[in-house]
Amino acid sequence: MLFGDLPLVGMLKQKMAWHEQRQGVLAQNVANADTPGYKTRDLENLSFPELAAKTGGASGVTMVATDPRHMGPGAPGAAMRDERRKPYEVTPQGNAVVLEDEVMRVSQNVQDYQMAADLYSRGLGMLKMAVGRRS
Amino acid sequence: MDFLRSLSIAASGLKVQSGRMRIISENIANADSTANTAGGAPYQRKIPTFKSRFDDALGAQVVELGRIEKDKAPFETKYEPGHPAANAAGYVLTPNVNSLVEQMDLREAQRTYEANLGVITATRRMVARTLEILRA
Repeated sequence: MLFGDLPLVGMLKQKMAWHEQRQGVLAQNVANADTPGYKTRDLENLSFPELAAKTGGASGVTMVATDPRHMGPGAPGAAMRDERRKPYEVTPQGNAVVLEDEVMRVSQNVQDYQMAADLYSRGLGMLKMAVGRRS
Repeated sequence: MDFLRSLSIAASGLKVQSGRMRIISENIANADSTANTAGGAPYQRKIPTFKSRFDDALGAQVVELGRIEKDKAPFETKYEPGHPAANAAGYVLTPNVNSLVEQMDLREAQRTYEANLGVITATRRMVARTLEILRA
């Protein structure tokens, strides 16, 4: 079994990919902070239950459907979707980027990414411990 | 790794803001540039414009400097009969540059530049953290 196939590690990997993509979207917002008519964008939040249902598979927890009318968890769609944010403030030129907000989001994004990366290396450490190497 | 994309987008922001600063400094430097001939037109204030362009290679909206427009606002006049650019009535046309407005524009450009720089620093931190996983 490859390391990346472990459910926990797989989820963390996806979370890191999401933050990476979000960084691109936020960079786009900051770069266009003075472009007339530009509207802010963001990525839709990564939904953990959806992700767990998708990556869980046979080993994960699945809901039992005892009746044909029972509905399972929604079909796993694309986890990363671009989303238009409701503007908080629009300049007369039609630009809806609030620079302070964007900078806050960037730093939040970096912190979340670091957390996921830390958890990832923790998982790596646990695996090393399991195979009998001290880390 | 797709971090290069974030960095390139932020770099386009840096480029645009420094181009804007160049135009602003041009305006400030020429705030007193009058014509040499009698009744001639002085320096006309320049206005930078921005436009957002979808970059196919990056798959994102980068920003770039659009056409540099001339400010259509009327020139100021000053009564100075001895000036070489004075017209028959003794008035000299002076540029339509308001240095207060230019200073504010400059500040704004500086702040946006710094914000883009912040994005680059943050992205670099993310890259560094990723590389640390390799070392762990």
